[in-house]
Amino acid sequence: MDTPAIQTHGLTRRFGSLTAVEDVTFSVAAGEFFGFLGPNGAGKSTTIKMLTGLLEPTSGTMEILGEPFGAGATSLKRQIGVVPEGMALLGRLTAPEYLRFVGRMYGLDRDTVNQRTEELLEFMQLANERRKLITDFSHGMQKKLALAAAVIHGPRVLFLDEPFEGVDAIAAGMLKTLLQGMINRGATIFLTSHVLEIVERLCDHVAIIHQGSLVANGSLEELRAGVASTLPGSDSPQRLTLEEIFLNIVGAGGQEQAQELSWLA
Amino acid sequence: MAGLAPVPEPATTGAGIFSPLARRQYRALARMRLHMLANNVRSVQGAFELGARTVTFLIYAFLGCALSAGLCIGAYIMASRTMWHSLPMLFWITFIVWQVVPIALASFQEQFEISGILRFPVSFPSFYLLQLVFGLVDVPVILGGLCCLGIYVGIVLARPQYFFWTALVLAIFAVFNIITARAILAWIDRWMAQRRTREIVSAVFLVLMLSLQLLNPVLYQKENRARRSHPAHANSQHGSREITAWTRSLSTVVQWLPPGLAAEGLRESVEHHPVHALESFCLLGLYILGAGGVLMTRLRAEFSGENLSEAPVRVKVAAGKRTWLIDGSGPIAAVIEKELRTLPRAMPVLFAIGAPLLTVLIVGTVLRNSFPAETSPFRLAFPLCVSYTLLGFAPIIYNNLGAEGTGIQILFLSPTPMRTVLLAKNLFHALLYAVVSILAGIFAASRLGTPDGILLAVTAAWLLFALPTNLAAGNLLSLAMPYRMNLGRLSRQRGSQTSALISMLVQLGVIAVGLAVFELSELMEKTWLAALVLLVLAAVMFLVWMAVLRRTDSMAARNKDRLIEVLAKRE
Repeated sequence: MDTPAIQTHGLTRRFGSLTAVEDVTFSVAAGEFFGFLGPNGAGKSTTIKMLTGLLEPTSGTMEILGEPFGAGATSLKRQIGVVPEGMALLGRLTAPEYLRFVGRMYGLDRDTVNQRTEELLEFMQLANERRKLITDFSHGMQKKLALAAAVIHGPRVLFLDEPFEGVDAIAAGMLKTLLQGMINRGATIFLTSHVLEIVERLCDHVAIIHQGSLVANGSLEELRAGVASTLPGSDSPQRLTLEEIFLNIVGAGGQEQAQELSWLA
Repeated sequence: MAGLAPVPEPATTGAGIFSPLARRQYRALARMRLHMLANNVRSVQGAFELGARTVTFLIYAFLGCALSAGLCIGAYIMASRTMWHSLPMLFWITFIVWQVVPIALASFQEQFEISGILRFPVSFPSFYLLQLVFGLVDVPVILGGLCCLGIYVGIVLARPQYFFWTALVLAIFAVFNIITARAILAWIDRWMAQRRTREIVSAVFLVLMLSLQLLNPVLYQKENRARRSHPAHANSQHGSREITAWTRSLSTVVQWLPPGLAAEGLRESVEHHPVHALESFCLLGLYILGAGGVLMTRLRAEFSGENLSEAPVRVKVAAGKRTWLIDGSGPIAAVIEKELRTLPRAMPVLFAIGAPLLTVLIVGTVLRNSFPAETSPFRLAFPLCVSYTLLGFAPIIYNNLGAEGTGIQILFLSPTPMRTVLLAKNLFHALLYAVVSILAGIFAASRLGTPDGILLAVTAAWLLFALPTNLAAGNLLSLAMPYRMNLGRLSRQRGSQTSALISMLVQLGVIAVGLAVFELSELMEKTWLAALVLLVLAAVMFLVWMAVLRRTDSMAARNKDRLIEVLAKRE
């Protein structure tokens, strides 16, 4: 059996008395496009931060590409790419300067860095903005640049925290092509997103986290079948969209209350 | 609806500066500031911050009181001896304190970002008023206010009957200073926001420095020519005549400037020339209107939603051939190159580094002109000038990750250890400091005379001691008490008073050690010994710096959450 690209056991993170993530255990196979969903504040970003070494877990273990991942896992860090929540950009650099900086921080040689920088700028349609400071980029442009920086060293595992947030349809299509291409070449992608249509179209496997705990984990078909079995009279589970599955699993609390806010226009 | 209170009527609207809506907004803002202050002390760092802020406030209050006492004595003497013609000097001192201190402190002070309220239905007059009101208890205003108070007390003690006129003049003068200071900072921020204007301002700054550098030789040339044409009077008599003539021509100009007008207005009113006094007040009023108008132009643009980003570059730009400044693909070269590229775009850093250099130049020039050419003002002037420039490095050495912003995450995500990043930053800062201290040394030597070889060696040894000490303390503080620094802005930064206070204490300690070693070796009449002792101390501190550097990885890992939380948070 192939070594999973990502594996966690009882991953837990507490902030004082608040438990943001509790006992999360899952596995992502190599070459899989994995969607990690959850409502706001469910613990998605906390999980991704722990998986990428930006946050120490309170307890539990995690393995990336079969190796335990903790502080100082230098060789493993070379294998992973991340678009974190805040995008990790340096506002006072230009896009090529930033990409070259990131490439060198990952230990790429000069020629490779230069070549990949140019290719990524062209691909992301940022080549005409090379003199502009990143701080003056639009949100969508910053997202594209953050993704370019995350892949410049050719990672085997890519973690993406809301990569489609604030990105226009053209750019989203381009990003999807890039990500699909990476999957075809054997990379593993761990994606969190609120755009459920995109997750449904791209991901082979989906896990849902709610209030810090993993409440669903499986392929789309498995989740459909699971939800359909709880719905009375549902004879065609294949018609269930990911949004319906998601709402069914995490609940649609607040909708009734919202209808009562009579003072809203 | 169950559980919800009845919906109140929408707040009364109105665009007036004191309309019911505006008053509600002022109350809401005041309450918000109070809540922010109260919430600050909920964390340990916040409590430290408040404590440090109080200490800093007390230090500045002490400085302000000392300055105020000096001005009070000056005003008392002038008023009691009817030396009204000298009064502009006191107003000029106040004016300089009020206008220069805010710029000098802008990079370190926490200032509330008032433009954030523009998403609410705030009228322009309210926005304008809030811009003026917020920051009224800042250090520069307190210092300026204390200066005015000193002048007021001095005059009223000498001439109690002038209490009203003095209060009126000083109040008008204070209003002028508050508006002018705001206008200057607002425009500097505007110019710094775009590359082209930033480059123009930097060029003007450079030209200004060069002009000051040239000013002295020109004055000396003039003096020499005068000496040659009047060899018999090549003494102080001729010099004082020249100075008097020069002062007279200068005073005709400065009397039309606000500090001169305020002093003139006061003099005319106490000498019972109400028409002339009114003229001065009217002119001062015009200056206030002018400064207010300048500020209004800026705030109006901000209020209208001005986007200060660079103009979009739509034209196809060819890929640059010279893409690397520093060869080698290692992380140290990468970090140094990044710092090198960021530096010219980082106005607060440029200012922090450049301002002490400019001060050395100006103070050096003043000291040189105050003493005969063949005598040096005092022996330690050269090392003090050189060491003074290290103060400018405090914001970047003691908060060396502060400018990373969200980019801090890439430092943790990349396989490069934090100690390598800090080592690269330390090397860059040391290199930068070497350049700045050499420049300061050249400025100081050209103004105050070349120091002897031993003093030069002692200064160099002190620098070798001071640099690793500051870098070691800076690395610790950068990891333990980081704060986000906006490199695109000169003012409205969110600084940390705790960090500022600790850095100041370390720097004072380093200077005190240097002075103590120097004085002791002077007492023993073996000045060279100071260089030796300082070199030994430098070696010790170098080892300490290396030990600290080794610990930075574990420290960064421990403080990772806080570093990311503080530096990567969205504005």
